[in-house]
Amino acid sequence: MIAITIDNRNVLAEPQDTILQAASRNGIRIPTLCYHKRLSPIGSCRICMVEVTGMDKPVPACTTPVAEGMTVETRTERVMELRRTVIRMMLINHPMECHVCGASGSCALQDLAYEYGVAAHEFGEIPVNRRVKPYATPLIPYDPNKCVLCLRCVHACQEIKGIDALSIALRGSLAHIQGERSRCISCGECWQVCPVGALTQAVTDPPTRIHQMEAVTTTCGYCGVGCQMELRVMDGKVWGVTAPDDPEGPNNGSLCAKGRFGFDFIGHPDRLTVPLIREGGRFREASWEEALAYAARKLKEICASHGPDAVMGFSSARCTNEENYLFQKFLRAGVGTNNVDHCARL
Amino acid sequence: MNRFFFSSWGRDPDKTGPWEEKGLLFPARFDDDREIRAFMGWQGIICRDPSVNMVDMCREYIKRAQQESCGQCTPCRMGTRILGDILERICQGRGTGADLPALKSLARQIADASRCDIGQTAPIPLLHALRHFRDQFEKAVREAAPIPRGTYLFKVTAPCTSACPSHLDIPGYVEAVAQGRYEAALKIIRQDCCLPGVVGRVCVRPCEANCRRGLADEPIAVKTLKRFVADYELDHGKRPLFPEIARKKQRIAIVGAGPAGLACAYYLGLRGYPTTIYEALSEPGGMAAVGIPDYRLPRHILRHEAHLVERLGCEIRYGIQVGKDISMDQILETGAAAIFLASGAHQALRMRCQGEDAGYEGFMTGVVFLREAAFGRRPLSGEKMVVIGGGNVAIDCVRTAVRLGFAEAVLVYRRTEAEMPADPEEIRDAKDEKVAFHFLTQPIKILAKKGKVTGLECLRMVLGEPDASGRRRPVPVEGSNFVIQTDAVVPAIGQACDLSYIPPESGIPLTRWKTVAADPVTFQVDGRPIFAGGDCFYGPLTLIAAIASGKNAARFMAKYLEKGKCLPEERDVMEGLIQKIGVYDPQEAPPIIGGRARIHPKTLDPEMRTASFDEVERGFCAAEALQEASRCLRCSRLALAAL
Ligand SMILES: Cc1cc2nc3c(=O)[nH]c(=O)nc-3n(C[C@H](O)[C@H](O)[C@H](O)COP(=O)(O)OP(=O)(O)OC[C@H]3O[C@@H](n4cnc5c(N)ncnc54)[C@H](O)[C@@H]3O)c2cc1C
Ligand code: SF4
Ligand code: SF4
Ligand code: SF4
Ligand code: FES
Repeated sequence: MIAITIDNRNVLAEPQDTILQAASRNGIRIPTLCYHKRLSPIGSCRICMVEVTGMDKPVPACTTPVAEGMTVETRTERVMELRRTVIRMMLINHPMECHVCGASGSCALQDLAYEYGVAAHEFGEIPVNRRVKPYATPLIPYDPNKCVLCLRCVHACQEIKGIDALSIALRGSLAHIQGERSRCISCGECWQVCPVGALTQAVTDPPTRIHQMEAVTTTCGYCGVGCQMELRVMDGKVWGVTAPDDPEGPNNGSLCAKGRFGFDFIGHPDRLTVPLIREGGRFREASWEEALAYAARKLKEICASHGPDAVMGFSSARCTNEENYLFQKFLRAGVGTNNVDHCARL
Repeated sequence: MNRFFFSSWGRDPDKTGPWEEKGLLFPARFDDDREIRAFMGWQGIICRDPSVNMVDMCREYIKRAQQESCGQCTPCRMGTRILGDILERICQGRGTGADLPALKSLARQIADASRCDIGQTAPIPLLHALRHFRDQFEKAVREAAPIPRGTYLFKVTAPCTSACPSHLDIPGYVEAVAQGRYEAALKIIRQDCCLPGVVGRVCVRPCEANCRRGLADEPIAVKTLKRFVADYELDHGKRPLFPEIARKKQRIAIVGAGPAGLACAYYLGLRGYPTTIYEALSEPGGMAAVGIPDYRLPRHILRHEAHLVERLGCEIRYGIQVGKDISMDQILETGAAAIFLASGAHQALRMRCQGEDAGYEGFMTGVVFLREAAFGRRPLSGEKMVVIGGGNVAIDCVRTAVRLGFAEAVLVYRRTEAEMPADPEEIRDAKDEKVAFHFLTQPIKILAKKGKVTGLECLRMVLGEPDASGRRRPVPVEGSNFVIQTDAVVPAIGQACDLSYIPPESGIPLTRWKTVAADPVTFQVDGRPIFAGGDCFYGPLTLIAAIASGKNAARFMAKYLEKGKCLPEERDVMEGLIQKIGVYDPQEAPPIIGGRARIHPKTLDPEMRTASFDEVERGFCAAEALQEASRCLRCSRLALAAL
């Protein structure tokens, strides 16, 4: 541990900490926007600028390493005004239509403007390109006007997914995110990390903001990894899927394309919701009790007339490990056969 | 004549005080026809003509900054746009009194908060102008009349870029590496250096000596990052995509397949000109092949990159010595439209030591020794070898001796280690390989028995007053003679050019250092269809200087063939101006907190090295390259001249 001073408080920091990490370790808040705990520090937004004694200029807290004896000030007039200026700059091409924006209420820019009291287009307005631009995937519409070019999406695509489908196109105020469709895997990681409403999803047309809906935490059923996910539910319907933003769990807050966007089966009319029993070539609905009793009886009959090796069990990667364990136990100990296999072997 | 002169170059815009006349270094003329009326850059403004409209010049400067802004941080991306819009409004006669304080506070904040030097330096000349030419801004707002646009020249540079003889876009390619875009990085490098794998291994790295990050902790490993992307391409079986170019009819002849000749052929090839290189040896690469030993630069890298040059329409005719097998006249008769002379500097300098001309067995000059070793021979026998000299060639000779099985390899130098011109890293490597160093030792006589070297008689030296080069001159100690017993003596104290292939009656002018006299910018000889570059023009210098001269000569040769003459272009003159004023400022304290150590590539274990000529230095792995590249501060600087 090394000793530093932040806002006149003597605090301890790990030697490899950045100023931001040291501050948050000690309960001192420094505002950020591009910083994201699942990404390496980006340093693009310049909201987190702080003053360090001995330096002529402010430095970004998120990328600057601490040093023994360093004295940091996070709320001097100079950096407070700097933050206001940066927020004004971000708003210059930002449509002031939070009331129709899906991110309102969970938007980092809105929060910063609130905190720093920046009202509207204080630096005037640049009408740059008020169209939604084509993006890496048709599942995610991209609005360059709302984009603050924090580059979280680019870093997430590269660092978390290793796909590298996003980059910056053009320069200066015309700069925007461009995607490469041939690389993109539509995982939606970019959408998940976008701090504003620049990236949305085109899979559903939700009646209210997805982040304001009830979040039902569950385990993804697509494969056996066990990713934690939140189904965003309203009026008994799933409108979107987000990943809990905690680094616990097998997926560290990340999801794949199926887990994130493949949820329409949940409410699909073709989905089987009750067991069916075939009678005379036709299916009829049955209760679970009846269906299970029927299956058990048939299995017993087959074992009695043809021996247990006439039965084979085949299970699915979409079950959990525990379920698969029980399944083979059932076949080996219950039925009495070693004929058991699993779809992941195919 | 009492002419107007203003300079705020290098001054803090907030402080008054004596004007630093650093700006006086700055030339007054652009070329024969044009004056430089004003210059704007990262450290302020220099103005020689009071009629230059500074408001308009600031408008242009900030507009250029906005176009260069990479978009990766808010203050520069949006801030320079806002500044530009305000300046544009003022210049259109629609400014208001509130605009000037707004410009000032915004400019300061952009300089304070931007991530790299484009945003950090772009507002500086504007701040200087607002202070020192305030009347012009006030007048523009007051009179509200449109201001016409002036004529300007613009250039982007960086401390490292400007120090590199070939001016590679170093911040550009280092950033591409940091973003994992290796092929893009290589493309940027190849614009100015066609041998990335070679230069990425053995460049003398003036860029690193001028790297601004070095002022905070350590310079960026620019060289090893270049090697990394070159190796990436080679190791992944990728090949550069050269554009389809229509082949031109005129063929150009080149003397020498060293770095200068190869570069000239490469950049002529990209312009569609087929080339024929006449090369005396059986290998491409010149001194990079037969001077630089394989443990620093494996031959297959050189051959691979030379082969890429051949793909661009270059034919290399090996084993043909110009002057002996074919004359210059005959080359012209074969229909060559122009000739590029790139014959290098392959003759060893004399030591003025008794016995060096006696033809003793066991005596050989460094260049011959290395050439023999490069062709896989052990040209000298015995157990002990003494090499004389303190430069890189001398180090190459002793380290080669170690690998050829000399039990003892000794380096003799007349000054101390501190004065050695050799690269400190190579001195370290030589020490690791158990090379013995005798400093402050001057050889005076080679001792021999029956025509075979037995020893070297030397004098002890002490350091006296500094000489013209600033190094302290060694002075012999009277009567301090002593003898070093040895089987072989190899002097490596410098090279000269062998230009005997140029017939005196050709009238090709030579300098008094026996190099070809050519224009330092266009490399043209005396207005003829003959150009010269590399070591035969500069005297023994460096690979990257040789490549730069070949690259530029190619541009001017094409111009000459297309237009009948060639003169320096505006960008060359701009580069010259920037060199005069200097980009790297060793006094500067970069606004970052250092402490991110440079990554050093791993080297082969010293015990393993000496048994073979295997490459000693490894490259970076992808993680190391990314970590190293992300240390770059991106010190791009913008320069604007008003003509
Ligand atoms: C031992 C040694 C180590 C060096 N190490 C480094 C280093 O680490 N880094 C660095 O940057 N620089 C280094 N240099 C310098 C660098 O190698 C040279 O500056 C560079 O090779 C010059 O390139 P060039 O094309 O001008 O000439 P050369 O590389 O010398 O090539 C000239 C070519 O012309 C051919 N030639 C000459 N005369 C004729 C003729 N009449 N007819 C046909 N062909 C002819 C020669 O055979 C040769 O192939 C080193 C030099 C030496 C000697
Ligand atoms: S799309 Fe979102 S995450 Fe990507 S740069 Fe823009 S604001 Fe940031
Ligand atoms: S060029 Fe530098 S200062 Fe400008 S936007 Fe990019 S990172 Fe920021
Ligand atoms: S930090 Fe990067 S841009 Fe700056 S001088 Fe060094 S290599 Fe060049
Ligand atoms: S949070 Fe530090 S620069 Fe964006």
